[in-house]
Amino acid sequence: MAELTTGQGVAPSPPALKSAVRVEGLTKVYPNGLRAVDSVSFDVKEGEVFGLLGPNGAGKTTVIKSILTLTSPTSGRIFIRSVDALANQAAVRQVMGYVPQEVSVDGDLTAYENLLIFSKLYYVDRAERGTRIREALRYMGLDERSDDLVKTFSGGMMRRLEIAQALVNRPSVLFLDEPSIGLDPAARLEVWRHVRKLNEELRTTIFLTTHDMLEADRLCHRIAIMNAGKIVVSGSPDELKAGVGRELVSVRMGGGGPGGLESGPVVLPPGFEFMKQDDGPGPGRGAGGREDVILVGGRAEEGVPQIVRAYEAARVDVSSISVSRPTLDDVFLKYTATRIGEAEEFRQAKSARRSFRKHAR
Amino acid sequence: MPGESNAVAGVLHERQRPVLLRFVTSSLVVAEMEARKIKHASSELWIRAIQPALWLLVFGSALAGVRDIAPSQFSYMAFITPGILSQSVLFIAIFYGVTLVWERDLGLLNKLLATPAPRPSIVVGKALAASIRGVFQGLLVLALSIAIGTGISVNLLYILGVFGVVILLAMCFSSLSMVIASLARTRDRMMGLSQVIIFPLFFASNAIYPTQIMPEWLQLVAKANPLSYGVQAVRSLLLTQNFTMLPTDLAVLAGYTLGLLSLASLVLRRIAS
Repeated sequence: MAELTTGQGVAPSPPALKSAVRVEGLTKVYPNGLRAVDSVSFDVKEGEVFGLLGPNGAGKTTVIKSILTLTSPTSGRIFIRSVDALANQAAVRQVMGYVPQEVSVDGDLTAYENLLIFSKLYYVDRAERGTRIREALRYMGLDERSDDLVKTFSGGMMRRLEIAQALVNRPSVLFLDEPSIGLDPAARLEVWRHVRKLNEELRTTIFLTTHDMLEADRLCHRIAIMNAGKIVVSGSPDELKAGVGRELVSVRMGGGGPGGLESGPVVLPPGFEFMKQDDGPGPGRGAGGREDVILVGGRAEEGVPQIVRAYEAARVDVSSISVSRPTLDDVFLKYTATRIGEAEEFRQAKSARRSFRKHAR
Repeated sequence: MPGESNAVAGVLHERQRPVLLRFVTSSLVVAEMEARKIKHASSELWIRAIQPALWLLVFGSALAGVRDIAPSQFSYMAFITPGILSQSVLFIAIFYGVTLVWERDLGLLNKLLATPAPRPSIVVGKALAASIRGVFQGLLVLALSIAIGTGISVNLLYILGVFGVVILLAMCFSSLSMVIASLARTRDRMMGLSQVIIFPLFFASNAIYPTQIMPEWLQLVAKANPLSYGVQAVRSLLLTQNFTMLPTDLAVLAGYTLGLLSLASLVLRRIAS
């Protein structure tokens, strides 16, 4: 496992932060010999959104289930706020919230009842239950639907209700297994908004697994990329992407120099370099037909003003500029030589959600 | 790092709350979940009552004419009332394993297992849930039997005793079903296995005919069948009022129930993972 550090970019989490979840050498070998998780170690800090990113079958769900004491690891140690989770199972379950990737609310109960049952199973004091449930529902934007049967809810509302349900015990860590799986794009954005709000306003530590690079990029402070049971690299999304390669700026140019003046050669400032340079008018090149591609040392957005100045100095007419940055998919590609695809598990979970909703109606 | 684990350490301390109390509370909450579901979809209860009604009215009337099928002091309809009552509880309870597999396929079961509730309390809670439905079935069968005048004795105390037996029967067969669910692991196989097991349990018992008319090997099967003990107990409460065998019947039934509940608690993890 490589811990990436780069000269610039986002600062790593300060060392003073306390550990919320620490996993050391976690290994799970199934009876059939499948090594689903292979000496995985990581440390989730309090207040952080930590993501385990990887394709299906990488072992993410096995990691989450081991931490939640739903499956016993073959070897390794797990600490929740420095309490040994394997030795104190019921106690650590009390302080964790869990949203499985499949549907975990009961369609035949109302939203309120779903939360009521779980607040009782977490031994929330009778006097506090009502307040906590109403708060959680309001927080997830479901207070108006509190007394409706859950089978009438949309997929996104169900997901939000599941998160609300996981909040009734005021967990110190919230575990989300593929939080936006099977949701339509609008519902997915809505769930992301709520997850971020939860972390920013309530400072809830969130541990999530996902196969969705965009999700990891948008939500997580730090991610660990997992493939075939192992963590191949970890760091903040920016660090990881910066580690892949430099960012690119594409410059599209108009016909000629402004004011009819003859344009000169473009001289780039230090740290910039042409990857591809269109050198001048030629047959078949209309207005906006020329494009230069420039490699930028630092963050591409920050290099744009300097590039524009360089083109102005050379009296070259710039019609548009676009920035392209490496994605987490490129990071994954670099470390595993494969791309994250949509595979079996995802389709299964999706169809499980669908069949549930069909059944519920 | 002493200050670091305060939150969890506090919880650890709080968890000193007696295990037995947590167990009982959690079991009741899991059963409450079922009760609330029934409340929202009560029409299902009535639909499920159609089958035992048909057994009693159609099967009972048809066979009532067969001579010597039942002890002569009772009508055949009275004789099979305890049998149909027990059978309807069996039918309800045996499908609780299917529900469990269904809840596993969704994330509900894992979500339950991730709570601090002691795991056996989830099994006991589900078994109690089956009892709630069982009691309702029992009520309807008894009401029907009294309404059509089969001649069962109507004594409030004895009828309360009948419901005690119904609760045991429902817990017994729902935990059997949960054990089978851990072997089947898929919904389709579970449905199949439930069908396979339900008819031997019903026909190799004293529910609709006395075991004396069976060949000897079948009598042995009936003697090992927990349903027979339930039927016999209900029959003594509703018909004969001869209670010499009642303690034995209840003890055997309670023994089966405890054994199967423990077994189901042990294998619950297998279903989940």
